Amino acid sequence: MSQMFQVTPKHLDSIFYPQSVAIVGTNRVVGSVPHDIFFNILKSNFQGMVFPVSPKERSVAGVRAYKYILDIPDPIDLAVLVFPSTVCHLALEQCGQKGVKSAIIISAGFREIGEAGVKREEEIKQIAQRYNIPFIGPNCLGVINTDPQSRLNASFARKMPAEGNIAFLSQSGALCTAVLDYAQAKHIGFSKFVSFGNKADISEIDLMRYLKDDPKTKVILLYLEEITDGKALMEMAREIIRDARKPVLVLKSGRTREGAAAAASHTGSLAGSDEVTDAALRQAGIIRCSTIEEMFNCAIALAYQPVPRGDRVAIITNAGGPGVLTTDAAVAEKLHLSKFSDKTIETFRKALPATANIKNPVDVIGDARADRYRVAIGSALQDENVDGVFVILTPQSMTDIENIAREVCDVVGNQEKPAYASFMGEMDVAVGINVLQQRSIPHYILPESMCRAYAQALFFKKHAERGEEEVESFADVRRAEAGLVLANALAAGRTYLPEQESMSILGAYGLPLLPRGLVTTREEAAIVAERIGFPVVMKVESDDIIHKFDIKGVILDIRTTRQAMEAFDAIVNNVSRAVPQACIKGIIVEQMVTGGEEVILGIKRDAAFGPVLMFGLGGLFVEIFKDVSFRIAPLGRRTAGEMVKEIKAYGMLAGARGRPPRDIPAVEDALMRLSTLALDFPTIMELDVNPLIVRNEGQGCFVADARIMLRSQGDVLQPH
Amino acid sequence: MERSEIRTRIEKVVSQVLKVTPKEITPKVNFAFDLGADSMQSIELVAALEEEFSIQMDEVKAREVQTVEAAIDFIDGYVN
Repeated sequence: MSQMFQVTPKHLDSIFYPQSVAIVGTNRVVGSVPHDIFFNILKSNFQGMVFPVSPKERSVAGVRAYKYILDIPDPIDLAVLVFPSTVCHLALEQCGQKGVKSAIIISAGFREIGEAGVKREEEIKQIAQRYNIPFIGPNCLGVINTDPQSRLNASFARKMPAEGNIAFLSQSGALCTAVLDYAQAKHIGFSKFVSFGNKADISEIDLMRYLKDDPKTKVILLYLEEITDGKALMEMAREIIRDARKPVLVLKSGRTREGAAAAASHTGSLAGSDEVTDAALRQAGIIRCSTIEEMFNCAIALAYQPVPRGDRVAIITNAGGPGVLTTDAAVAEKLHLSKFSDKTIETFRKALPATANIKNPVDVIGDARADRYRVAIGSALQDENVDGVFVILTPQSMTDIENIAREVCDVVGNQEKPAYASFMGEMDVAVGINVLQQRSIPHYILPESMCRAYAQALFFKKHAERGEEEVESFADVRRAEAGLVLANALAAGRTYLPEQESMSILGAYGLPLLPRGLVTTREEAAIVAERIGFPVVMKVESDDIIHKFDIKGVILDIRTTRQAMEAFDAIVNNVSRAVPQACIKGIIVEQMVTGGEEVILGIKRDAAFGPVLMFGLGGLFVEIFKDVSFRIAPLGRRTAGEMVKEIKAYGMLAGARGRPPRDIPAVEDALMRLSTLALDFPTIMELDVNPLIVRNEGQGCFVADARIMLRSQGDVLQPH
Repeated sequence: MERSEIRTRIEKVVSQVLKVTPKEITPKVNFAFDLGADSMQSIELVAALEEEFSIQMDEVKAREVQTVEAAIDFIDGYVN
């Protein structure tokens, strides 16, 4: 979000709909950024007044120029700064004195070049704050608004895009120009097009907020290289998707395993930054795309056609093979082929040749002309069992491609159900594709892309209709008790909490623990084991050991007092050999639970998104199986339930091969309590509960082992 | 060399390279902001001043000099 003050729609109106624009630092050098931006505004038929400000020139492109913005007699809504970065502060100072309402700083040479640039960027931020000037940039391509009321091209893109209802926000200026060129070839128009550069002030969040209520924008696309405020992004996206019913698509670059390399816990190791980003965007209902092509494939489906109400599709094709390919692709995207009504089948039987296939996919046969497509598409759209239609065409010698395209457009018209097309090929079908694109029928080279776009549209629908989730609060949580344990550890200079301390914190937050005790002699081990009841597990407790199994610091299935004493000796010897420098606080004796499923629950604090919860198939090999799901806190019961259902091993928990279902509500409860713990104590960086043993339905679950990693830099604990 | 001579010679070079009149060149004017020097002209200015004063300047530091006054101080450091 704007770091200086709350940017309001009115501020952004002066950027997108300025009555007057000053290009500050322009010149007459054709092909230079300062010149071309000014010229772009002129040639795009800008509806307001434009003033070139040039230190040297008396006119630019035939328009009277002013030496300084202060010399302009008229008020200026928007200043576009194109001076070198070294003097932008001087220009912005004059803009402030002039009373400019907003600015776009095109100039590069700020934060992105290093220390000197960081200082310059701070300086312009301070000036802008002093004069209350919200600005886009610096280091950006500029802003385009295709609304006929404005027709503003304050950018150095090659051309003005066509008017459309898709908004594009990008952190990369160069990508913008490629996207514009790509979109033009596909007859895709834009409502607003913004390169926001270094986002020193106005960020993508501010722009999203503006576009939420922009009547000209139906779909919002973002290209991001970094996510600085993930929570704000998620909240803004939810608002847009649920309240404004506008889809949000994100292409985020930088899919690396950063963030996982130095992690100590299982959760930390599994929760790489891209896995977390993926989970967070999906949780917010954002459609994450992997490529520009995928992003626009999805965007045109959402921008041009109604959102599908369900997953039942009809495939109309003039060739069997592509029909099968499309079927495969649809099934892969978890769509279903509609079962046509008797009435529809009867219509097909009467209107189509005897050799046509009248079940789904409907094959109108290779010699089909426009009339067969008309009947097939029209009837399918009318069928109650059909939610969407896919139209496939392959170019046979008699295929009247252009006419069929027109027919498709006419039949689909303003239907309430979506129809997408795939005219397969390149050269012969180009004439038909052109017609489809010009009349806003989403077209896809490949059926796979078509099915993917439909599935993504359904994903949007599901999230748009999803109500707010209530997040439970737990009255039995003992925050002060947990806070004391954390405070004591930090005061002692420790950032790793081994099992005993971790268990005491989890116990304070209501997670069910097993009967246990910490012993320091073999005799004590025997007494405690007997008191707890056999069988027991015994494990080393040490601040210096994280993975106990790896060093034979755990012995299971101890059934007698003699075995307990022997186990004590064995563990001490094993640990002393493996980690001689480890300080052993004692040996934990814990009741051993049999007959449950082992799962892992975890917390990892992400720099952009805050606390991340993890759930998955647990045990020693969790990092090998990687069967885990992630969500961003806070969690409500619905989200916790979805986390559980998402893992591949869910079937084991739900009951499989004659085994009864496990206590899933108890797991959901544990996840929600962990979510509360993570939000209450920002000092917790990583946490593993591994395993959580889940017993049969109604019998609960138990934490069998846990560890916590804290942030080291003396954070004050701030429980609520 | 006297500062007044340095100033006069700098003003002459600036006037030639940036094609501005001498009366526009005052000590506090900024080459880019007030006189419209673009990046190419900034490089030309450095080269022309080096030739005028027969000196070899640290080009990186020279390009950070933004005003006539700062240029006088900078070149003074080389010639005196």
